[in-house]
Amino acid sequence: MVPLVILVALPFNGLNGFLLDLLYFTFTYAAMSVGWNIIGGYTGYISLANLGFFGLGSYVAGLMLTHLGWPILLTSPLVGLLCALVAAAVGWVALRTRGPSFVIVTLAFTFIVQFLALNLKDITGGSAGLYLPLLSLDPLLRGDLFYYYMLGVLVLSIAVAIGIRRSRFGLGLIAIREDEGKAEGSGINTSLFKIVAFMISAWFAAVAGAVHAQYLNYIDPDLAFELIIMLNMIVMTLLGSRGTVWGPVLGAFLLFPLQSYLVYWLPSTIAGEVHLALLGVVLVLVARFMPNGLLVTAQELISRRPPPRLETVAVASGEPAQGRVRRNG
Amino acid sequence: MLLIQGLVLGILVGGMYALMASGLTLIFGVMRLINIAHAAVIIFASYLSWQLFIGLGVDPLLSIVILVVVFFIAGALLQKFVLSALIDKDLSLALLATLGVANVLEGSEGAFWTSSFHSINTGYAARTYQFGEIFVPEIRIITFAASVILLAGLYVLLTHSNLGRAIRATTQNRGVAQLVGVNVNRITMIAFGIGIAVAAAAGPLMGMYYPFYPNSHWGWIGKLMAIVVLGGLGSFRGTLLAALILGIAEQVAILYIPANWAAMVFFVFLFAVLIVRPQGFFGHVARESL
Repeated sequence: MVPLVILVALPFNGLNGFLLDLLYFTFTYAAMSVGWNIIGGYTGYISLANLGFFGLGSYVAGLMLTHLGWPILLTSPLVGLLCALVAAAVGWVALRTRGPSFVIVTLAFTFIVQFLALNLKDITGGSAGLYLPLLSLDPLLRGDLFYYYMLGVLVLSIAVAIGIRRSRFGLGLIAIREDEGKAEGSGINTSLFKIVAFMISAWFAAVAGAVHAQYLNYIDPDLAFELIIMLNMIVMTLLGSRGTVWGPVLGAFLLFPLQSYLVYWLPSTIAGEVHLALLGVVLVLVARFMPNGLLVTAQELISRRPPPRLETVAVASGEPAQGRVRRNG
Repeated sequence: MLLIQGLVLGILVGGMYALMASGLTLIFGVMRLINIAHAAVIIFASYLSWQLFIGLGVDPLLSIVILVVVFFIAGALLQKFVLSALIDKDLSLALLATLGVANVLEGSEGAFWTSSFHSINTGYAARTYQFGEIFVPEIRIITFAASVILLAGLYVLLTHSNLGRAIRATTQNRGVAQLVGVNVNRITMIAFGIGIAVAAAAGPLMGMYYPFYPNSHWGWIGKLMAIVVLGGLGSFRGTLLAALILGIAEQVAILYIPANWAAMVFFVFLFAVLIVRPQGFFGHVARESL
């Protein structure tokens, strides 16, 4: 609660434009990572479609604005809903069966959406992109508006993540991750659970994409489907601790400012490439050496101090389930 | 006549697709892992072959020999020190590690060779042969022949050697293979190395055929995944057949629709297969619990 109060109060204390932008991006990534975590962390299905939903959200919102004049900051929940329906269709193909088809289909989905954005030139403007009408706002106020908007989306995403974690639905998702066969045997409609988790995940990516289109006032197939966005969602979640409520948030707040600094510091000719390679290195290292992420690893280190037998008893009886998950596998 | 032209070009390009995809299906077979970095490895080998050709004058076809050895070792080391620890614990972590590797390769290529187009132009093989009304560029015949030779070598290795038998046994049933005395961990490491080496062998051929740039591997991995799903994940013969089918389908489609839309042929097949027959033509793997 205290961090939230601080974040709400910050812009009143003369936060400069640079920091305001930095936090806006951090909120965006944090909200998308929390969303990714619902399918990738809770349910244990690696989705590469969230980038596709980010881009799809950008385009759907942008087209609604240019053709119908509907302001993006009002339509973004609706855009998210439309994309979630698309997610239901994709999920129907990929999630009916277990196994590796999900990652393949989600990657293919992202390619297809990007391909359509690039090649349906009459609608999307192709590689020239789509220019959106500017928001007629004082620049200072504009920064504040995006800041609070994404802060709101982030708070909503965390609330949803907590709600799922404490519900039977959330327990079902975790059961699917731990042993899908047994989950199905115990009466969980695994296909439905997986598809709903995927839809919620897509909603947050699409809303973030929609808001980002308005933030840039411009959409093109490269910006809307930038690979580093997908990589960031995954690395942030994994570094923070996937399957926990706060892990993705922690990951985003650590990694995004660090990356901004890095890109600022690197020579501009190779900044993007080195950034991508380093993020890949971080992904491999975290997967190999700290797959449980910072939050769970830290909790384990802290709870290791008392004798192990007492610790297990204490955990089983006292602590609520929030933020504490079984190690994978 | 136009259709026969498409058929011929489809078979020629399909041979190369088969080489590109066979490592992916081999790796899936022994590890149940989708190697997202597979096309990135191919492109990386294309860059190295380009560098060897420009810098030292090494013929791209000759560079295959060097690349195969280097990439086999690199692949085996990656499997031993990173992936093997992950596949037992959580397959999705191994998958994410390969995603990380793909981005490391892509980023390094951009940093070293810029993000502009490259292609390997040897100077020879620029002719186009004409058979009746059918035109066949010489480069396509060379890459097809090289692909067929390499695939034949891989096929003999898999079917007629003890190593190949051990790899196939591990693919079919890891537990039973171990029971009959196969050192499955060692075999998995070698098989992953072979898969990466086959990808590296495809690199110079791909680079002679198509221009490449650091993030072009994303387009390729989509195509390769469509091939291995159609062929049935883990099935070598299925992958060969699927590569030919999709090569032909693509080349025929190019004759009738704009070339960039022809890439969608792969995804149409991918979704059709997953909806109708998730196990592909030959495989039995996509359906079982992993």
